[in-house]
Amino acid sequence: MSTPSSDLALLSAIEQFYYREARWLDDRQYQQWMALLAQDIRYTVPVRHTPMLDPKLRETESVLNVGQELNQGIEAPLRDDSYLTLMIRATRSFKLSAWADNPPARTRRFVSNVEVYEEGDGYRVYSNTLMSFSRHGHDNHLYPYQRQDRLQKTDNGFMIHERHVLLDWNVVTAPSVALLF
Amino acid sequence: MNLLHPQPAQLVSDDGCYISRRVFTSRHVYDWEKRYILGRSWLFLTHDSQIPNPGDFVTTYMGETPVIVARGSDGKVHVSINSCSHRGLPVCRADRGNAKRFICPYHNWSYTVEGQLHTVPQEKKVQQPVDKARLGLKAVPRVESYGGLIFGCLDAGVEPLESFLGDMRWYLDCMFDRYPKGIEVIGSPHKWLINANWKLPVENQLGDVGHGPYLHGSLLKDTPQVADLEAYGMNVVPKAGHGVSVRLMPKGASAEQCMWGTDGLASFDPEVKAYLLESHKAVESRLGEVRSRLRPLCFSIYPNFSFLWPNNTIRISHPRGPGQVEYWSWWVVEKDAPDHIKKKLQQNYTFFFGPGGVLEQEDSEAWSQQFIGSNIDYVDDAPLYYGLGMGEEVDHEEIPGRTGSCFNEHYARDFYKRWRQEIEDGLKGDGGAA
Repeated sequence: MSTPSSDLALLSAIEQFYYREARWLDDRQYQQWMALLAQDIRYTVPVRHTPMLDPKLRETESVLNVGQELNQGIEAPLRDDSYLTLMIRATRSFKLSAWADNPPARTRRFVSNVEVYEEGDGYRVYSNTLMSFSRHGHDNHLYPYQRQDRLQKTDNGFMIHERHVLLDWNVVTAPSVALLF
Repeated sequence: MNLLHPQPAQLVSDDGCYISRRVFTSRHVYDWEKRYILGRSWLFLTHDSQIPNPGDFVTTYMGETPVIVARGSDGKVHVSINSCSHRGLPVCRADRGNAKRFICPYHNWSYTVEGQLHTVPQEKKVQQPVDKARLGLKAVPRVESYGGLIFGCLDAGVEPLESFLGDMRWYLDCMFDRYPKGIEVIGSPHKWLINANWKLPVENQLGDVGHGPYLHGSLLKDTPQVADLEAYGMNVVPKAGHGVSVRLMPKGASAEQCMWGTDGLASFDPEVKAYLLESHKAVESRLGEVRSRLRPLCFSIYPNFSFLWPNNTIRISHPRGPGQVEYWSWWVVEKDAPDHIKKKLQQNYTFFFGPGGVLEQEDSEAWSQQFIGSNIDYVDDAPLYYGLGMGEEVDHEEIPGRTGSCFNEHYARDFYKRWRQEIEDGLKGDGGAA
């Protein structure tokens, strides 16, 4: 991997991009949010298995590699979205008959640990998010996750071309992962 | 009425039309369920394709009992309780894998994949030998399979799996015997915890297709799939406790109308449609003319196993007390389907179902809201109404079981009547009421 960017202006611009994105999602301004998505976006939420550690890798750091916990090959991730399916997810919630969102949950996203690497004509960005999710009277949950994004800068600001959302749960203990992470 | 310690007859009315809210919330009722229902029924464990080779294993639950399901060196499936004979720790802590031994972390006692105690590291440090033959992992006494689906039962005296399934087999074959090379269940299940009673997900897929255009109105209202369901849909009870929702297309209907339904997807994806039409060609010779016109939607097998046909997913409802369920959902697909079709069918699963599914997020929400309503003790004199379509179910000339319209709730009445009967029988066998 290349060295992380130390361009403070770039880092600040990307952090500000994430803060604004978080505010739009928390304020349920999904139309503005969708304008940040590239048409070719790949958006996944992998599973997190509890693996059996590989005896061949014992005594090496690789024995603990996170990759072995994620869906392998053709195995189904928890989510595998395109621009179209993200658009359906977002606009669906505008209908009164979207009962998982009527009444809507209250969310608050905190984005941190932003690291930027130049990659091709864009940026590979790692960040952590902690989202609080509050539904009905007192159904409250915390969602910790890592985002692995690929961003590109355009005349209109950054666009998201890839987002992989790494949850830390084996059994999902929150009500839904059908959310916009 | 005092429902703090209800009797089974107070929980389910004789005709099954009224179900007490305590069926879903009472700890006391839950203890009966664990003993007399989950402890005595065949429970789904895994599919052959998950453990093809000796040493392959998956870990799962039978109700709340953790088990290891492993392919032994003899090629047979062995199901062992996942708890060390020494201090009781789980000896296998992975979702799945391939192992020679399961090793308890505490004192490193090790077991073969068949469950025999193999090594006790401390044995040579004491004088008396350890009787290893008697100290294996406790084995689940009955393991049988049908169509590659492996079931276990904690009760040695249970009837054979085939008779337990009864005419449900005729419907299971529609998927599990449909393709020359069969199907495969891919990967570990998606798992999530829902604050709901374990029977709600089961009931949902036993035959409650009628909720589709309402709970899922944002996506399904006024769609061709709903019109299709109301025109050709039926709720079938092949044997009390099991249920299946199907669409039976009329004689002479085209292959396109009859092909195995990934419904929505085929209508806008020509590659999927071509695949479905191609794979439909072999169906009549394998399953017969009637089943070549049958398009199942969903089914449940008593007490806690379900399958959603159009979205390629099988699922199991693991109870975690009366108010919580750990729901597991696998993706399943024709083994010989081309890879690019598998990928599309996979997305057709994850977009709609599983913990991230647009439809299933609403189901999970409804099930947990049902639990809230079931907890209101002031309305103990107002049991829940399950009477829709009462008495309208009939025998059908072409397909086995009692059939009703897609809004007839006979599937649930029969499920809860069987549930009550098994609790009553269990209590009687144990020498009286609770």
